[in-house]
Amino acid sequence: MEKTQISGIQLYLILLGFLFGSSVILTPALGAGRDAWLSMLIAGAAGSLLMWIYATIALLNPSKTLVEILRERMGRIAGTILSVLYIWYFIHLAALVFRNFGEFICTTTLVETPVAVVMGLFALVLLYAVNSGVEVMGRMSELLVILIPVVAFLISIALITAHDFTAFLPVLENGLSPVIHAAFVNLTFPFGEAVAFLMVFPHLNRMDNLKKVVISSTATSSALAIFVFARDLIALGSDLIARATFIPHLTSLLIPEFNVVPLVDINLLVGGGVKISVCIYAAAKGLSQVTGTHDYRSFSRAVITFCVVLAVWVYENTIEMFGWAEEIWPYYSIPFQIIIPLLLLLLSLRGRSKTSRENTEDAGMGYGPANS
Amino acid sequence: MVIIIIVLFLAIIAYDVRGFIRKKEQASVIIIYLVLMGISLVVSVLLASGIKPSSPAQWIETALKMVGVVK
Repeated sequence: MEKTQISGIQLYLILLGFLFGSSVILTPALGAGRDAWLSMLIAGAAGSLLMWIYATIALLNPSKTLVEILRERMGRIAGTILSVLYIWYFIHLAALVFRNFGEFICTTTLVETPVAVVMGLFALVLLYAVNSGVEVMGRMSELLVILIPVVAFLISIALITAHDFTAFLPVLENGLSPVIHAAFVNLTFPFGEAVAFLMVFPHLNRMDNLKKVVISSTATSSALAIFVFARDLIALGSDLIARATFIPHLTSLLIPEFNVVPLVDINLLVGGGVKISVCIYAAAKGLSQVTGTHDYRSFSRAVITFCVVLAVWVYENTIEMFGWAEEIWPYYSIPFQIIIPLLLLLLSLRGRSKTSRENTEDAGMGYGPANS
Repeated sequence: MVIIIIVLFLAIIAYDVRGFIRKKEQASVIIIYLVLMGISLVVSVLLASGIKPSSPAQWIETALKMVGVVK
């Protein structure tokens, strides 16, 4: 394990940037229509539970990354196979965020520029960040992630005159089922994706803070997402929100006199940048641990190149991207985000109780430090 | 366009592999690196030539439909 460490506040901000990530352009709970705020509340509560599971796994396996935990708890062969699947998952996730970013920039700002060029240039900057290490990613987040709530707040202030609070009504018009489904989609995107942080958690300088940091970051991200959605809903109305492609972008166009679209772009650059960096780091680090090499940087360039190519390859157009994110991604993610982590938690808990039982037996037989 | 892509990829691969040899990296590192870059190069050339091979998103969707998770 390289000796780089990040503070609690840095992890909090990296996680906040990661969770907000591409939510600037995609509202995962939008399937619930005007009741999406309810879905976000439910997803936030369930997301906190999921984050608690990830944090507990990390605390039960101190100083170990996901790959090391998988190999220790599931055996070398099964652990390596699952590690490779997770590496693929992180690469795929990074590619999807790349594509979200590229589609947004090419649709709203740089309409003449090919999407591959936009993503390629962004990849160069992110490669530099990833190769600089987790510490630099933490410091970068300290500087930049704070811009996300500031920008959201500035746009909201500018739109203070455009509001229609009746847009929230009627509540639960279509019953509870779309709300629950949208909450599930919102749980897998973005909260469950934070499973990638099992590769980052060992770098936290004070592990006793871990649960506090992840839960507070999840709560902040949920609150921010609900705030942004409520702002968009009262400014645009539920009908327009259901038909819009990039909702926060459309909201920002309502502001008279000023062009605040670059501010939305900044949000996406920061959030998306943090998310892609973490995924690339997790994938490259995973590859280095699977192959038994000491330096993840040997793989970072190949991984980020593959991500950019995959991002171009993976979808035909924006509509396919939105459809896949809502219909396929949640089900595809269940094993990676819920089933395997739950299994790891159980195995880690069993491993701990076994170790403590052995220690008690040793102490009883006179081998323990108290009797020696 | 295809030639530009091939030249760009070959330049990156040559630069990185030279670094690996200098650092005496394991063979597995070089193999995995070459596999990732090779797939990227082939897919890029195909996409630049206007041929879109079926994507992993389609494979995943088909697999999920086959097991009945997605309709």
